Amino acid sequence: MEASSEEKAEFEEAEIKYVSYEGEHHLPLIMSLVDQELKQAFHKGKCVGTVVCKMGEHRNTFRGYIAMLVVIKPYRGRGIATELVTRSIRMMMESDYEEVTLEAEVTNKGALALYGHLGFIRAKRLFHYYLNGVDVFRLKLLFPRQELHYSVPVMTNRDEVMNMLIWIALEECSGLPYSEERMSC
Amino acid sequence: MADKAVSEEASMDGQAPKPTSIPVTDNTVWADASPLLDAACIGLRYGELIHGDNFNLFAAMSALEIMDPKMDSGIVCRYYSIDEAIENGAAPVPISLDSTIDVQCTIDIMDHLLACEAAWHKGHSLAQTVFSCIYLLRLDRTASHALLHSYGRVIRATCKAVLSVVSDARTHEEEDLFTMTYGLPLNGDGDEKCLSMLNAVEETISRQLRACKATSSKRRVSEDLEPLQYNPNLEEGFCKALLCRLRFRKHFFHVLTCMKRPQGRGLELARKHIASCISELEFILKSAEFLQSCSGESCEDDIDDKTTASGREPIGFDASLNSRLSAPTPPRAIKILSWKKAVEYFVKLLHDLDVICSYSLDPHLENLLRFVVQFQKSQPDLVARSHLQLLLVQDGKLYGRDPIFAVITKAAALPEATKNHDIQKNESILQLGQCYYILQLVMNLLKILCTNAAWQRRKLGKILQDWRVIYLQLELALRNEFGEVSSSSNDENICMKIFQHILIWVEEQTYWIACRFLMLGFELELYSASEYCMVYWYSYAVLIKLAEKTHLKMAVSYDTAKRKGKKKRDSPKDLVRESRIPPAVLFLQCYICLAEGLTMMLAALRNEFMILQSPSPFNTEQEKFVQHFELLQRACIPDHASYLSFKESTTHARFSTLVMYNYFKDAQRIAKEVKSSFSNDPDRLAELRKLEQVAEHNSVALNLICRLGALDPSLKVSFEFSHHPFFATAVVRRS
Repeated sequence: MEASSEEKAEFEEAEIKYVSYEGEHHLPLIMSLVDQELKQAFHKGKCVGTVVCKMGEHRNTFRGYIAMLVVIKPYRGRGIATELVTRSIRMMMESDYEEVTLEAEVTNKGALALYGHLGFIRAKRLFHYYLNGVDVFRLKLLFPRQELHYSVPVMTNRDEVMNMLIWIALEECSGLPYSEERMSC
Repeated sequence: MADKAVSEEASMDGQAPKPTSIPVTDNTVWADASPLLDAACIGLRYGELIHGDNFNLFAAMSALEIMDPKMDSGIVCRYYSIDEAIENGAAPVPISLDSTIDVQCTIDIMDHLLACEAAWHKGHSLAQTVFSCIYLLRLDRTASHALLHSYGRVIRATCKAVLSVVSDARTHEEEDLFTMTYGLPLNGDGDEKCLSMLNAVEETISRQLRACKATSSKRRVSEDLEPLQYNPNLEEGFCKALLCRLRFRKHFFHVLTCMKRPQGRGLELARKHIASCISELEFILKSAEFLQSCSGESCEDDIDDKTTASGREPIGFDASLNSRLSAPTPPRAIKILSWKKAVEYFVKLLHDLDVICSYSLDPHLENLLRFVVQFQKSQPDLVARSHLQLLLVQDGKLYGRDPIFAVITKAAALPEATKNHDIQKNESILQLGQCYYILQLVMNLLKILCTNAAWQRRKLGKILQDWRVIYLQLELALRNEFGEVSSSSNDENICMKIFQHILIWVEEQTYWIACRFLMLGFELELYSASEYCMVYWYSYAVLIKLAEKTHLKMAVSYDTAKRKGKKKRDSPKDLVRESRIPPAVLFLQCYICLAEGLTMMLAALRNEFMILQSPSPFNTEQEKFVQHFELLQRACIPDHASYLSFKESTTHARFSTLVMYNYFKDAQRIAKEVKSSFSNDPDRLAELRKLEQVAEHNSVALNLICRLGALDPSLKVSFEFSHHPFFATAVVRRS
């Protein structure tokens, strides 16, 4: 099922499922999103949005970084991006990370509002960050300090490069239930 | 085996083996790896990366060089070298055998180069802008074309001059593409004489212009002058178009040379050249009509986007040529400024340079700081800012002229008599290290204040700790050296006085930096409306300290002057002067009242009407407070400014009480009072007027909200920076 980029898609809240990245079989979904192609990916569900994050240590701080967030045009304005980001941040918070950061263009009012509502502040402005001459804000969210305890952040799949965190928003096709496997995070 | 094949081939042909730069030794031999690579290419499918024991995913990803033509075979260029481009006629000399077209194209090249130059100034690399010009890359080729050659030389010399200014300033961190010059031919033999070459060409064309004017009025014309091009009707237009372009280049080069002279000696002359530049730019703009009309092309709608006055595409430019030669690209596609925008850019640059050249080189640090802050309001670009910085700090002296330590003692309001004699005698009191450190702090501060606002704010935040540390060290040294205040020898007393003055000045300066840090946050739009309350509260706390230290410095200075025997006894006039608050402090008090007023109004809005709150699922206001003021808190600026004290100060804010004690009315009163003291200072007068407007509008809004707020839920309050960049004005609307 392909949605024309001009129409806003009609759907109910319950029709969007959020799944965590499970492996390479999800990569084409994410790639197709980035390519802005509305291919039907796999048997069930259409990928309508994704967020790609990185979690790691930076100058003695455990910091999460939101690298990329995309929701295809017909599905924007419905809180999908907020949900994707919220889930990522929650996971970082539960893993005892101290802060989350990302960059957003100063002209990107939508992103600035989204992250502003989630508690991010504009910590810095970076001059001409992108080569088209646009400035960016470095947005930062500081989690409330927990009681001092010596737990180590829980890491899954410690990769030598980085710890990736990816969420995908899939739209259910009518009549087809999701398997349990697909829904697990 | 491949290697056997090669050596066999070599011996069979009887030819020498292929020349290599690495000689073959006993243990090595050259082998042709092409078949192996071909096989590997066939074996690898799209999206696959090589994977080996010593070559993991990380290594493979790191090895990818996207968009670098040397490494990325997917990047296709039209020409793969400058020579290839030239061989294929990309930059013919002369440009055309038809002299009219040759002149037209030359003017197009000049215009496009101006647009490239502006794009370079705006933050792109030389390789993709000015040196996308093939003629410039091989300037010797143009020797037979006087116009192109002399123009090219001046451009090259100009770029080199501008580059050296920006490189010397060394505070262009985020604008680091500007100074990249790998593999570019920036140094030309004889470029110092470029102006004399240009003058010669200018002279020729001037004579030609006179001649063709004389011809049109039917007067006798000299025989030995060759016309520029063959169409006599267009001769005058082309001469004029060329002359203003050549003259602009000449005067601009003079501006750079004059401004480079040490101790600001060339500033007055530079202003004259700046004025000439601006008038030549006006002529250049006017020439567009003529050039478009004879270009023969139809008037297009997007003429404004073109990089030439005529609207034609210039000959002889190819940005991709340099991508193979210069590191550390991959080059991104950039947009050269339109010709119109380029001219606008240069007009602005010249105005900014003119402001710098008009500066009086005031030896008083506080006046200098105010000048720099004022200058930055026009958002000058990198080139202008670098020129300012080099003017201010030269050879470790202010303007290359005033020793920084003398500047500091003046700033610390040490009486005239104290300075040279006593300080030199008592050099040891300020241990040499601390002395040196303070000088470095001041020079560093001046340099930072000349950078772009975003970078500037980050650096100001970082140096707060340095200033705090030096203050603590000085305070400790003062206590250790002098213990209690005693009336011992006069010398010791003078030492202590010097110490005291400098200590107070260091603290005042620290709070000044903190203030600038906070205010820049508004300019850079770092605060959201729900954070204004805490920002104004913190600013209020810092401003109070700043006013206190400024006042203290002036009081101590007066006291010191008295003790030195300047005042025999306290005359009534002296007593009045002592009790009168200095205008500079009153100015700050105006700020303080506005800051307090805004803090309380915003707090009351939140407390009573629940607006301007921003509840977040992941953190609270406290985390935002901690983040915004982290650098200030770390440097204890000021002491006891914590989130808790912020909450305590604002929890009970209510409109009913605010209306009774109206901080905005106080601000209005002070602003009015202090205006007469600044009658010679137009900038401060202008600001006082703005502060009055802010106070007035906010006072009205306060009263309105107090009267109607609870009754009329349709009232909406927003805060806009319509009068002052730092103090917001409350706007009350009905939705």
